[in-house]
Amino acid sequence: MKLGKITALWITFWLVLITGLHGALNLKWLVPKLASDGAEADKFKVGFIPVTCHLTCPVTDFINKSTTGTNNFDPIRFNGFPELKEAFLSGYMPATFILAPLAMSLREQGVPIKIVYLGHRDGTAMMVHKDSQIYRIEDLRGKKVAVPNRYANQRLLLFRALKERGIPFSEVEMVEMPPPDMPAASYPTAVDAITSGEPFRGQTQMDGYGRVLYLTKDVWPNFISCVLAVHEDAIKNRRAEVQALVDGIARSGKWLDETMEHRMQAGEFVATNYYNQNPELLQYVLSKPPDRVKYTNLNVMRKDFEEIEQLGREAGILNGTAKFEDYADPSFVTDDTAVKPWVWEAAKK
Amino acid sequence: MSDVTVTSFKRGLPGAAWWLPLGTAAVFLALWHMLVRLSGSDLFPTPVEVAKGIIELIQKGLLLKYVVASLFRVSWGFVLAVLVGVPLGLTLGWFRAAFQSMNPIIQILRPISPIAWIPVAILWFGVKDSAPIFLIFLASVFPITVSSMAAVQNMQSVYLRAAQNFGLKGPQLFRRVIFPAALPQIITGIRIALGVAWLVVVAAEMIAVNSGLGYLIIDARNAGKRYDLVVAGMVMIGLIGLGLDVLVRRLEKFDEVRWGYGQR
Repeated sequence: MKLGKITALWITFWLVLITGLHGALNLKWLVPKLASDGAEADKFKVGFIPVTCHLTCPVTDFINKSTTGTNNFDPIRFNGFPELKEAFLSGYMPATFILAPLAMSLREQGVPIKIVYLGHRDGTAMMVHKDSQIYRIEDLRGKKVAVPNRYANQRLLLFRALKERGIPFSEVEMVEMPPPDMPAASYPTAVDAITSGEPFRGQTQMDGYGRVLYLTKDVWPNFISCVLAVHEDAIKNRRAEVQALVDGIARSGKWLDETMEHRMQAGEFVATNYYNQNPELLQYVLSKPPDRVKYTNLNVMRKDFEEIEQLGREAGILNGTAKFEDYADPSFVTDDTAVKPWVWEAAKK
Repeated sequence: MSDVTVTSFKRGLPGAAWWLPLGTAAVFLALWHMLVRLSGSDLFPTPVEVAKGIIELIQKGLLLKYVVASLFRVSWGFVLAVLVGVPLGLTLGWFRAAFQSMNPIIQILRPISPIAWIPVAILWFGVKDSAPIFLIFLASVFPITVSSMAAVQNMQSVYLRAAQNFGLKGPQLFRRVIFPAALPQIITGIRIALGVAWLVVVAAEMIAVNSGLGYLIIDARNAGKRYDLVVAGMVMIGLIGLGLDVLVRRLEKFDEVRWGYGQR
C-alpha cells in the first residue's frame, strides 16, 4: 500500500530526527558527562520561582558552582506555586521554596513537610497606579486588589493592615493572579492595587506608572513570605544534604546583605543565568531602598510563625490543627549570628 | 469537490493564491502597528518589535531549540494518539457492544480541557517531557477516536453489500473495504486533532519544562516587560501551525484517500 508505507516511513524518519535534535539541543545528550554529573538523578532537587523571595537559591547554586565547579543540589525553576506544590507532592523534589502559609496548610492536610529556614524578610510592596486616588490603606475600601495566591502572606499582610484600621476584610475585593501578570493588569488599571513578591512590583515603578502605597516593612516589620521547606523523609534519610543546603542558603543570605556590591553582582548573575529577567530590574529592587528586602535573621522562630498561624486562622486559610513542632524544624540553624557569609566575589565583567 | 475550488481560483488573477493572503497579512500588520501607536501603550509590542524579538531569539540560538522541543513533544503526543485513537475508533465503530460500553466514558472524558489535567500530569509524571506529551496525547486522542468511529458507522452500506457479494470476510473485508472507505474521514479527524495538539502546546508547557514555545511565552511573562517575546512565541506557534496544516492536506492528495470521496 503506497500511502501507508510512505506515511509510516516519513513518520518514523520524523520521530527519529526530532527526538535526536531535541536530545542534542535541549537534553545535552552529546555533551560528555562529567564525573560530578554522574549522580545527576540523585542530586538533591530544590524548587524555586523567579522572585526575590527565593533569591538565595540561585545565589547558593552559582557560588557553589563557581567555587567548587559542581553543586550538591539542583535548583529547579517553576513559574507558579500550583505547579511547584504539585511537583513537591509527587515526590519529584524533596525540598522547595514555598509560601509559608501554604506549607503550614499542607502540613494541616497531612503532607509531611517541615519548614527549615526562611527565604527572606520583608520584600513586598502594595502598588497602585500613579494616577490612582488611593493614598492610604483606608482608601482600599471597595477596591479590587490582586494577590498571588490565597495562601500568600501578602494577603495576610493586607488582612492585618485592614484589621488594625477596623476595616472588615470583606470590604476589599481580592482576586488571585499569577505575579508575572500583575504589571500588565495594573497598567490599564484592571485592578486597583497589586501585591506580590518582587521584582514584579519594581517593574511598575521602573516603567513609571506604579506608586508604592506601602512597603512591607512599613506595615509588618520583618515580614516573612517564603520559606525553605523539606520533606520529612529527606530530613530523616538525607540529613547531611539538607544541612549542607541550609548552610549554603544561610551563607548566601549573609553574603547578599554584606555589601551593596554583592547585591549588584547577584542581580547580574541571577537575572542572566536563572531568572531570565532584566538585570537592572533585579538590581533596582535589591537596592531601592536597600532594606526593601533582607536576607539576614532567617532562622525559624516560633513567635513569627505563631503570628502567621493566628492571622491565617482569622483569615480562614488555616484551621490551627498543625502546631509549630509539626510544620517547622529549626534545628538546622539555631543561631543566625553564627552564620558566616561566603568569601567570594563575582568575576568582573 | 476539490475541482470546484481549483476552477474558482483559476478565474482569479494569476498568482492570486500568493498575493491575496500576503496582501491581507500586510494590511493586518499595518493595522496592528497603527492601533498600538494610537493607543500609546508601551506594553503591547508593535510588529517591528516582535520581529526584533524573534531575531534576538535566533541570535541567542533559542528559537531553534524551542521549536524543536515543542515539535518533539507534539510529535510524540500526537503519534501516540493516532496509534491508540484510530484502532480504538475503528473497533468501536464496527462492534456495537464495544460502542455501547465505551462511548459514554469517551464522551465524558472528551470535553475536559488539558489544562484541568495539568495537576494530574505533574503528579503522575513529575516535570519531565513525559508530562506535556501526556497532555498533548489526551487533547488529540479523542477527536481521532470519535472521527474514526463515526467514519465506520456512517460508511455507505453499498460498499459493504458489494464486498459481501464478492465474498470478502474478516480481516480482508476490513483491510480492503472498511478501512479505505473510512480513511478520508479519519484523515479529516487527524487534521483537526493535529491542530488541537499544536493548540495545547502552550498549556502543556506550563509545566516546569525549560524549553519550548509555550515555555517561551510563560518565561517571557516572568521576565517583566518582554511582551514582544510573548507575541513572538504566538507568531511562531501560528506559523508552524500553518505549516503543519499544509503538510496534512497533502495526505489527502493520495489516490488511496481520494477513493473514499467517490472520485478518482
